[in-house]
Amino acid sequence: MEIAIQLVIAGILQGGVYALAAFGLSLIFGVSDVLNLAHGEFLMLGGLVTFLVFEATGLNPFLTGLFMLPMTFFLGYMFDRLLMRPLATKKEHVRIMSSVLVTLGAAITIEDGISFLFGAEEKGVDYSLPSFFWGDIYISYLRLLAMVMIAALTVGIHYYLKKTFTGRALRATAQNLRGAMLVGVDTRVIRSVTFGIGSLLASIAGVFYVVLLSIAPDMGLSVTIKYLCIIVLGGLGSLIGSLVGGVLLGLTESVVSYYTPHWGQTAAFLMLVGILLIRPKGLFGK
Amino acid sequence: MSTNRIILGLVLLLLLIFPAFNMPYPNTFLIILFLYILLAQSIDLLMGYAGYINMGHICFFGIGAYTFGILWNKGLHLYISFVAGGVAAVLFALLISFPFFRLRGHYFALATFALVKLMEHLTLNLPSLTQGSDGLMVLQGNRMIPMYYLSLFLVVAVIGVTYYITRSRLGLAMASVREQEQIASDFGVPVQRTKTTAMVIAAAFAGLMGSFYTWYTIFINPEMVFGIEIALMPLAMAMLGGSGVIIGPVIGAIFLFIVEETLWTRMAYLHTAAYGLVILLVGLFMPGGLVRLRPFRRALMRVGLYQEI
Repeated sequence: MEIAIQLVIAGILQGGVYALAAFGLSLIFGVSDVLNLAHGEFLMLGGLVTFLVFEATGLNPFLTGLFMLPMTFFLGYMFDRLLMRPLATKKEHVRIMSSVLVTLGAAITIEDGISFLFGAEEKGVDYSLPSFFWGDIYISYLRLLAMVMIAALTVGIHYYLKKTFTGRALRATAQNLRGAMLVGVDTRVIRSVTFGIGSLLASIAGVFYVVLLSIAPDMGLSVTIKYLCIIVLGGLGSLIGSLVGGVLLGLTESVVSYYTPHWGQTAAFLMLVGILLIRPKGLFGK
Repeated sequence: MSTNRIILGLVLLLLLIFPAFNMPYPNTFLIILFLYILLAQSIDLLMGYAGYINMGHICFFGIGAYTFGILWNKGLHLYISFVAGGVAAVLFALLISFPFFRLRGHYFALATFALVKLMEHLTLNLPSLTQGSDGLMVLQGNRMIPMYYLSLFLVVAVIGVTYYITRSRLGLAMASVREQEQIASDFGVPVQRTKTTAMVIAAAFAGLMGSFYTWYTIFINPEMVFGIEIALMPLAMAMLGGSGVIIGPVIGAIFLFIVEETLWTRMAYLHTAAYGLVILLVGLFMPGGLVRLRPFRRALMRVGLYQEI
């Protein structure tokens, strides 16, 4: 029983980290209709900056993450402004293909550039907090803290999207581009802002990655694939879907990995394909 | 039209007598180039003509490669195991065609992408069959000349078949599916059968090329045949050259492959980054691919090589 509870806790935490970055990717897809293959690179960059700051100053990694937010927002904003905006006016078939090329090219460039500058080896932050027992259940303080932060972030984003003007404009753009334009939303700026927010969320996920697991410069593309799978699982463009999809994937991985160590990933992808075959538009897709 | 034939004939003749010059390095170069051209062209069969971006096309290649390796190691005849690679890929295509073609657009692209990861993990997790991460070693059989001709034959075949399809009813049906699937279905186009046929043809070629790849490299592991690199590169080549034009994926493959080789030999560091930058710039400034650039298109039209439906 304790094992089951612990597996569930570990799975939800892992799923929370997945959901955070997947949520960003889902926002980007919903607003701009672009499959951003460079999303994982922002996650890697977030982890890398945290690692570098921690190595240099020993600052609390979560604090670094907080200071990093404006930077990654700006990076994502410029990514859209310089690379994606020129493609927005093209025909749909052409736009899909050229956006795949551009984001793939950017991902490859960033991966190789980073491993040239900072070395290709895996990097992790040696940061830990004491853990405690709650009844018979072993709980890591660090993981609990991470879970609380992820929950707070999720609630924060929810309110941002529901209450602020930019958030509402963002949702309007995602629902109906032309309609949003008609009522006076500057959809081009909203697109860039969405890229900024998405990259910001990915980089926060990167902080959790570097603290709880480890990062490597060439991890970006494989991480991106996993996130793309998650948002497909939840239903493209559905924000709640990406959260549920992330947690579901994390839970599957953690439970299956406990019983048969190598089959965790396989089971996750099997589940994804299985769900898509039953519901071709994902769990929450319309 | 006659200029077209003369040019094609000359190129083919040159490629046919090429091994006689006895240059090992360009020979190897050409074999790998043929591999990429075939993969790009067969991806484009579904992507450019039927409008379905199959990001999991490399599954067919990998399944062919592993089937060939396993069967040949079991002691089957070379030719039988070679064909078996193609057959296995076709069976897999038939298996996934029914459920996966219910998905559309981005969903199809991403679900097939997940399929690649699934296959990679399955090969890693079934070491009794595939040797897992150690990789599969096959019997030594490295004979350059027959390998060269075999890969040349496969490439000529895939281009020929694509050309034939674009002039057939099947090609028209595929184009109608690409433009408006619902209307095509209303007008009595057998949509499901058209898509399945296109995927099966593409899978057959990819599977045979997979068999060939194992034979050629002697050693394969999951990363080599199901890795992200090999899954995305042919896709980028087809898009970069110009998807939906027969000569497009060929030009894309040649261009990207030459760029990669040049960068690899000229730059000690950062060649992969430069390679990524080239892909990025082409996507940014030449949407629609190289062959759709005006001067290029005009030149290709003059010799009759530019053709799209």
